[in-house]
Order: sequence, then structure tokens, then C-alpha cells
Amino acid sequence: MNTPALSRRELLRLTSCGFGYLAMAGLANAAGADLTPRPPKLTARAKRVIFLCMSGGPAQLDTFEYKPQVGNKPHPGSVTPFQQRGQSGAWVSELMPHTARHADKLCVLNAMHADTGNHAQSFLQLHTGDRLRPCPSLGSWVTYGLGSENQNLPGFISLNTSKPSVYASACLPPIYEGTPIGVNGEDMSKATISNISGEHLPLAVKRQQLDLIQSLNRNHLNARRDDARLEGVIQTMELGYRMQAAAPGLLDLSNESQATLDRYQVGKSYDVGTCKPSDFGRQCLLARRFAEAGVRFIELNHGSWDQHTDHRRDLAANCQSTDAPVAALLDDLNQRGLLDDTLVVWGGEFGRPGLTPGDGKDQTGHSHRAFTFWLAGGGVKAGLTHGKTNDTGAECVAGKVHFRDLHATILHLLGLDHENLAVTQGGRNIRLTGLQGGKVVREILA
Amino acid sequence: MPPRLPSPARRPVVGGVVAVLLTTLLTAADMTPERRAFFESKIRPVLVKQCYECHSADAKKVGGKLLLDSPGEMLGGGESGPVMQPGKPDESLLIQALRYEGPEMPPKHRLPESVVNDFVTWVKMGAPDPRVNAPKSARKPAPTDKTSLWSFQPVTNPKPPAVATKNWPRDPLDAFILAKVEAAKLTPAKDAAPAKLIRRLHFDLLGLPPTLEQVAAFERACSIGNRQSAIGNLVDQLLASPHFGERWGRHWLDVARYGESNGNDGLSRNASFPHAWRYRDYVIQAFNEDTPYDRFVTEQIAGDLLSAETPAQRDRLLVATGFLAIGSKPAKAMNDNFDMDVVADQIAAVGNGIMGLSVGCARCHDHKHDPIPARDYYALAGIFKSSETLWGAGAYEKLTAPETPLHELKAAPKVDPASDKLTPARASKKAPAKPTFAYAPGTPLAMGVREAKTVADCKLNIDGESKKLGAAIPRGFLSACASTTNAPIAIEPQQSGRLQLAEWLTRGDHPQTARVMVNRIWLHLFGHGLVRTPDDFGVYGDRPSHPELLDHLATRFVADGWSIKRFIRALVLSRTYQLDSECDASIRSADPDNTLLARHTRRRLDAESLRDTMLVASGTLDARPGQGSLIQHHDVLINQMGNLHRPSNHRSVYLLHLRNSMPTELTAFNLPDGTAVTGQRDVTTLPTQTLYLLNSEFLVAQSKAFAASLLKSSDPEPSRIRSAFVRTFAREPSKTEVQQSTAFLRSAESGLMQSQTDSETRQHTVWAAFCQALLASNELRYLD
Repeated sequence: MNTPALSRRELLRLTSCGFGYLAMAGLANAAGADLTPRPPKLTARAKRVIFLCMSGGPAQLDTFEYKPQVGNKPHPGSVTPFQQRGQSGAWVSELMPHTARHADKLCVLNAMHADTGNHAQSFLQLHTGDRLRPCPSLGSWVTYGLGSENQNLPGFISLNTSKPSVYASACLPPIYEGTPIGVNGEDMSKATISNISGEHLPLAVKRQQLDLIQSLNRNHLNARRDDARLEGVIQTMELGYRMQAAAPGLLDLSNESQATLDRYQVGKSYDVGTCKPSDFGRQCLLARRFAEAGVRFIELNHGSWDQHTDHRRDLAANCQSTDAPVAALLDDLNQRGLLDDTLVVWGGEFGRPGLTPGDGKDQTGHSHRAFTFWLAGGGVKAGLTHGKTNDTGAECVAGKVHFRDLHATILHLLGLDHENLAVTQGGRNIRLTGLQGGKVVREILA
Repeated sequence: MPPRLPSPARRPVVGGVVAVLLTTLLTAADMTPERRAFFESKIRPVLVKQCYECHSADAKKVGGKLLLDSPGEMLGGGESGPVMQPGKPDESLLIQALRYEGPEMPPKHRLPESVVNDFVTWVKMGAPDPRVNAPKSARKPAPTDKTSLWSFQPVTNPKPPAVATKNWPRDPLDAFILAKVEAAKLTPAKDAAPAKLIRRLHFDLLGLPPTLEQVAAFERACSIGNRQSAIGNLVDQLLASPHFGERWGRHWLDVARYGESNGNDGLSRNASFPHAWRYRDYVIQAFNEDTPYDRFVTEQIAGDLLSAETPAQRDRLLVATGFLAIGSKPAKAMNDNFDMDVVADQIAAVGNGIMGLSVGCARCHDHKHDPIPARDYYALAGIFKSSETLWGAGAYEKLTAPETPLHELKAAPKVDPASDKLTPARASKKAPAKPTFAYAPGTPLAMGVREAKTVADCKLNIDGESKKLGAAIPRGFLSACASTTNAPIAIEPQQSGRLQLAEWLTRGDHPQTARVMVNRIWLHLFGHGLVRTPDDFGVYGDRPSHPELLDHLATRFVADGWSIKRFIRALVLSRTYQLDSECDASIRSADPDNTLLARHTRRRLDAESLRDTMLVASGTLDARPGQGSLIQHHDVLINQMGNLHRPSNHRSVYLLHLRNSMPTELTAFNLPDGTAVTGQRDVTTLPTQTLYLLNSEFLVAQSKAFAASLLKSSDPEPSRIRSAFVRTFAREPSKTEVQQSTAFLRSAESGLMQSQTDSETRQHTVWAAFCQALLASNELRYLD
């Protein structure tokens, strides 16, 4: 009974205007506003992305970058014990015992750097490439480039999200906008999609009703051919309608076994200092289910890792809140064969400088000149540590990776060329890696 | 008439931040050989060995912008303020730091007691310093960068530029727009048709749609008479409507981060603010009365300090100060910085809200490139710390925000006793706390501020920590906005300084206040501001697209007595406002963001207008002002109460705006959360909005009511269809639309045949589904 989404061709016919107009309108171009899956131009190593966004600036020196003391004079470094793990002997902090089991799957980037230590701006740059202006989010670009494998769900879902600017489609059509489930600060254990069902009409009549709405919308659009955004709204209407069938089942965890819920720590809440309850377990389990269902880009959020005071206590809570769920997610993706074509990305808007052992201090600030991300799955070298920082971990010395390089690499793994994935707006070429461009980090490609 | 403030000219001179620097004049006044010897043997070697590494002109990176290698610099202090009070070692930050009380210097190890004592002795002497002043300074701000500090430059009064199409502009502002359009070799769109224009004006000024009759009358007036005078008449009529204040008051409530509960305090507790609604009503009234903006700002910052002629006026002035009290506060529990967090919210409201500046960044330390140093922050903080903030019971949760008194109102009617009793969904184990501040039953109360019992300068909080104190910073304003023409405004020792702050903000030559407000008004009429970051006119914000126009408007606004209504009138009578949103393809391709304003920007209605319009269409709107608030009798924790919202047919501005629990009828369409100044709302397009339109209780209820009223008449089907279109869109349906509607009614009827056997019930369902389709269509949500 469901009618498929209007194809781009149908839309153009309905609105009797050509391709040139869409480009002119400053919205879609080549790929159009269309969620149907399309093969990438280059060889793809990954089909989808799960981005574990750790907001606030996770302390890399006490999690994934081991920085022991050297010389006689105490200096900033790791103050949490580390162990070497797995075949690769990767160093992982004892605060991450579960993720440590997967050390051989991780590709750790220790020389990440960004442009600013300002939370809001760096967070925006991590998501959109730009610190200031509204630009399409990474997830929007990926969905724009590849469409989505499930036409009944958004191609880009953001869980426990913060502000709209980080999941905005901006100048890309709204169909690529991230759909938030649970807003930061809300109780994630109850987060759902509001109004996902309604009993006032049988589904068949609802379809007829939507057809009437869409006819009215097309009448309206026909008199306003200059506005491609209205076209986008028509598509989003369709998607919303189709979600009624697909989403409720996916959000309902009652068919998961208790053992699974336990492995993911679903419902466990940590509320310690900066560490806010995010039910990260539920987020991770939902991410697995969305990945299985063919959602292209799934972002999870936990925060805040911004431990200006009580560094040790809050960091431990943040690790406890996320460690087991992330490990369970990696287990399940691996067991289902999904890890081969799912790229998992872990990191935040920057990192933190290290504490100096024995100086009695328990406060850390921001470090955007050197911090850590890790990737796993889809096409990256497993068990690799890439990039070096100096003895205090404050400066990168080799294998530097900027957000732009990370973005270029993620797109590359998905078979997209960051230089060509672009739209023209007002004569300007808009792309994720911006005017400066990024470099694919070839050293980490499997 | 509201009483006027004393004019700036009559106020005494000197004060503010500048005074700090005067202490530097005490250098080495009484240098004797003994003192020189003491300095050279006991002090200088320590400075060189222990301090210069970070605190000298040659340091790789100067710590805290403090230089200790020259006497002038040393006395001037650094980012944390002056480090020495010559003669008073205990009050000198330098000594406190050496003693490891507060800041700890040198950071690696504490100096021996004997050395610390030498410094104490030296400061007691008056800190005689024989060194020669080096001119080099890390403390001085970088030379003013004209582009990044544009908003700190004085407002100018530029002449409208010359344009080629001389008869195009209707208002001087049009010339500024046209000049740029012409420079881009474009021609502006044509004027909008009257039907489009009246709809635009109704929504922009009232947030409500016109009726078909109003549209027809306006079209007639435009065709038979002078179009511009017909528009003028319409605008005057709309500006006089009480709905104007509901619309524009709501815009201000976004700026004022309005909410009727505290919002999550960080520990998941959300105390109600039962009296916040009075501030909402004050704002609506102020807009309806066209309270001049300078007066409006003054009332909100210092209403309690203004003289009032009647008890009613006094009430109004006290309620106005709710602006400073309604902010969301973090829990007091385990939070040494609570008092300063309250102050931070107030500084943000005034900073971002009125000046368009993020002053809050300076709470912890100076920022590179930012002209607002930490000492300016604490100069402002002293003003608010010298004021007492009255937020009320805080649900009697001591750990959230400890109970405060409230303003008692004199002329406001007695409050009727509660007709409802709220019982928490989760029973609390604790016995209910007894109020510390009890009022006679029915006493009308209001949130707000008043002068504190102790008025004092605020000490700089190093790194933003209330336990690490620097020097006291004299109460004052922003040093970067120092007036070039007007005398400084002094704050008397016994005054908090709020009145003076308001006076300073509303001086005609304040570089930001007028610019920020004209930009706010502009963006609500044109879709985006001339500065696209309306709450940030600082170095990190956007630059104006039309700087001369912005200054022209700011100048006019001030010259015309800060009248918001007259300013809006001028803007909507301009040619630029009246342009069509449809345009030639060349305009759209050259200027997709519509920066040049060669056309009007098509906009989506905001959450309130959308809901209100649905109520109008369904015929259920109660257009009278909503009275009070659902929460007005209840000092409770919202998080324990379950759903407190109740269906209402009043305009959306009167719904219960609980932080973290906003009305679901509004949240799907980007209602702000009331925790931060929000000059411009996000506009997202999401499938979840579709679901709201298709399935929400509100839409279903409105569609049912709409259908029921259509079915009351015995009209034939086509007339009912027509009536539904007229009520929803204020226009006749096209032939095609009547056909599409009829076809839907038939197919829905047969689709329901099995599930609803009673034909009358079925008919109601079918028509409700039809009405819902109209309410959910794009035409209702988008404004040309």
C-alpha cells in the first residue's frame, strides 16, 4: 500500500522545471533530493557509519594514548594506569577494560588536531567542517552521497543530540537532515519518536489523507517554482508517513534478551559531576538495530567529558557509562558480520592536557592541538596506532590528522571523494572539507 | 508618563573600570638606599629566579598576562587584576599566591616561609621598586581591529547612497538596499500582490491570519485608492491590536529566556516558578503600550529603583525586574559557585540579550582577540552581586536554589485560592518543608531583583572559581564600549549600580544597544538579520551585510524616541519589505541566501503562529488574554509531577512554558528551550514534524472540532469544502482543489465503511480527516 518516495524525475515532472532550476535554487544538485540508495563512485570499504560522539573533550591521555613519565622531572602525562592489550599490544587505560578487549580492532589516531579550543565552535567543526556558519553535517553529506538502504527510516539519525546546527542539512535538501531521537538532557531511557502512531484513522485512510495533503502541497509548489525547499518538505512528509510502519518496532527493545540488555548496560544511569545520564547502553543497542535496518549514518552522544574540576572522578564515570556499551556494540557488529562494512568512529571536539603525577591537581582544560580518535571496522587497519605526540601529549609530532583529514578519510572509506562531493551555492563550491581541503589518511587504510 | 532618569550630564564623573589603573601611580615614591638594598638583595633575585620564566617580557608565553619585570606592569597587574595593594600585604594577591592561599605561585613548589615574609615586608613598605619601567606590555590589548570590533565603533549616521532607479525607494532604508542590488547588477522583485502582503502583515505583526473578508477589503482599498495609504491604514490598525503585544512580546520572551520553571538543575530537579507569568504579561503589555525601548530595558534591569506614581505602576516596575530572576539555575548542592552562576545568567541575559555580546567568556580568563577582559566581567558581576535575586520558593528544595523572598505587589488583585491540588506522581519521602518566607494567602507576588543588604565590588574569580579570589574590581561596565563623548557614569558606594548600568546601556551613543535591537526587529520582518548572529555582535559573530543601513536604522530608532511600534511601521512601509518572495531566477541564483534582499524571504510560521492559526481555522480560538498560569499556585518539582499541561484554546504565548517540559503542541516546530538568549529560532524540516501533523492529539482534536462546526450547517458538500478552505487559507479553493477534496471525501468514506458502521460517526471522521489534511498542508505553514 505504501507508495514509494517521489523519485527525482517524478518531482521534476510534477513541478515542470528542470535540473538547472534545482541547482539554481541553491539546494540539491547532481544527486538530487532522494533517499534511494546509490552506489558510490569509488570503491567503498564501508557502507554506514556509527559515530560515537564524546562531547566535551575526552581526556586522551587517560584513555587511549599512553604517556608515561620520562626523565626525572614530573611532567603532564597519563595518571591512570595503562596496559598493553591484544596481539597489537595497544596501550589502553584501565578505565576502559571492555573496549580494551577490542584493542586489536581499533585504529587509534593519536595526533588529531583542530582549530580551536572553544567547545561550541570545535563541536560544530567536528560535525560540519566549519566553525561558524551553518553547513551540512557529516551525516547529511554521507546520506546525500549514498542515499539510504531503508526508505522507511531517515538516512541520518542522531541520538541524544544537542543543538540542530550539528545535524543540519543546511544547504542540502532537508531529507538529509539528521532526525533527532532524544534531546540532550532528556531522559534517554524514555526517548522515542513522538506521535509515531495514531489510532484516529485506519492506515488506508491515512494514506488517502496524505495523498490529499501532497496534492495540495503540489498545487502550492506549482505556484512557487522558485523554492526547492518546499519540494524538500513534500519528501519529508512522505518519509514521516513511512516511518509509522518501520520505526516503532526498531525502538522497542522488549524482544532483546535480558543478557543483551545487561551486556549493553541498558537503563544504567551515571550522574556524576560532568558525566550526565545518557543511557548510552540504550543508544548503542539502538545503533546496532538501526545499522541492521540500513540506516546510513547513526550518531550517538554522551557527555560531558569536560572535566575542568574533579578530573579523575568524572572521567571514571564517563568511562563506566560508555565502556561496556561500546564494547557490546563492537561485539555484536562483529558477530553479525556488520563490522566489515560499518565504520565506527569514537572521539570528541578536542582532548585535554594531561595531569602531572604527584602535583595534587585534579583539573584539566582543553587541548585542541593534540588529541585522540579511534576508528574501527569498515576499511581501516585494525590494531594500528597512528600519529605521535611529544612527551607531554600537548603537541603532535608525526602523523597529524585534522578534522578535515578525518572527514576526507571517512568519505573515502565510503567510496566518496571529498573533493567532488560538493554543491554550488551562489557561485561558491560548498564541500565538507571546505576551501582548505583535507587529506585522506592513506596510512590507516586496510 | 513614566518618570525619566536623571540626565547623564548631571551625574558625577569618574568610576568604573578605569579606576583600577590609578593605583599604578604609587610607584617607588619613597625610595631610600635601605629600601633599594632590600629590594636588590631579597626581592629582585627571587623574581628573576622564580617568576620571570613566565612573567616577563621575554617569557615564551606570559602567564595570566602578568609581567613582574617592571614596576608599572607589576602594579598594574594581569588578567586577574592588580596583584599588589602597596602597604597591605594581606590584601595583595601576590602575597596570597606566595602563601598558597587561592592561586598558588610559583606553581611547582611553595617558596620558603622566610622568602614569603620578605615579600610581605616589602609590600608593607609600599613595594618600593627601583627598576626602570619597560614599555613592553603583554597586558595591553592588541590594537583595535576595526573589522572584528565593528560593533564597538560609534554608531554613525550615513547618508542614503545614490541609486540609479531613483523612484524605487519609498523610505531612505530602501536606498541602502537598492544600491547593493544595483551593484550586483540585479533588479529587485516586483511588489507583492495585496493578498500576499496582508497575510504577511497579519502574521508579522499579530501572528494570526487575516480573514477572507479582510483580504477582500484590503484588495479593494488597494485597487480603488492609493496602495501605500491603504497599507498605512492597515498597519496602523494592526499595531493598535492587543494581539500585537502577544506576538512581539513573545519575540522578547525568546530573548529573555522565559520559562515557568527552573529547568533541570543538573541533578534532575526542576522547581516551578509560579509567578513567572507576571513577567510574561508585563512584556506583552509593554509592547502593546509601545514602551520606549530604552525605558523597557531600564525597567527590566532597575525597575525597583525607579520612582512610581501609583501602586499599579510600582507593581509593574517590580514585575519588570523578573527579567533578571527567571533564568535557569544550576543546583546549589556541591556548587561553590552558585551565587556566581546566578550572576552569570544575569550577565548573559544583559550581555547577549541587550548588547549582543558574549560577556560570559570572560568569567574564567581573558580571551585573545576578545575586547572583554575578565575584569570587565567582574565589574558587571559586582553590580549583580550587590543585588538580591528573588526567585521564590524553589519548590522548597534547599539543594536546588535556596528559597528567597519575592516582591509583594500592592495594586494587583488578590490571588484566588488554588482550585486544584497537585500531588506528585512519585511520592516524596521527605516531609514537606516549611516556607521560610510566608505571605498572607492571596498576596500577589512577583519574581525580580532588589538592592542587596551588602553592596560591594566583586573580587575577580580566578579561572571562574569562587574560591580562588583575585583583586576586587570596582563595579562598572565594559571598557571597550567607553563613550568618546559622554562623561563616564559613576556608581555611588551604596548603590548596586543597576540603575547606572541601565542608564549606560540606553545612552544614545551606546555602540550596541540600538544596533542589536533594530537587528532583532529586522529579522522578524525580513527572515534574517542584517547581522545573522543576532545575539553575537562580538568578534566571533557575523559581520553586518549592510553596515551603513544598520547604523542608519539604529540612529533613526534612537532619534525617534526608541519607539518600537513606529520603527516597525517604518520598516513594513518600506519598498523592501513589500517585495514579492517570488523572483527572477537570476536573483535566486546570484543570491541564494537572500543577503541582498532583492526579494522577500519565504518563511515557515513559528510554532505559536502555527498553533494559533489552526485554532482560528477550527473556530476554537479564545482570543482573550490567558489569565495567570496553570502553575501559579504550585511550588513543586516539575520532574515529580507527571504531565501538568492542559488543553487550552488561548493563544500559544499563554500556554504553560515549563523548562524541560514545554507544551508538546509547540515543541515539534523549534520552540526554544528557555535556557539561553535566543534571538533567532532554528528552522528544521524533519519527518517527526510530519508525525506531529498526522498523529498528534492536538491536530486530531482541532480537526474534529473543525469538522463538527462544518457539519453543523446544512450546506451542500461543495459549500462546506469552500468554507473549510476559506477558514484555513482565507481564499477560495480552485476547481481542481474542490475536485481533489471531493475525491478524498468519497474514498475516505468507503475506506471507513467497515470500521465505522454508524453513518454519522463516519461522516464526522471523514470530514475530520479532510480538515486535518488542510491544517497539515504547506500553504498553512509557509508565509510568502
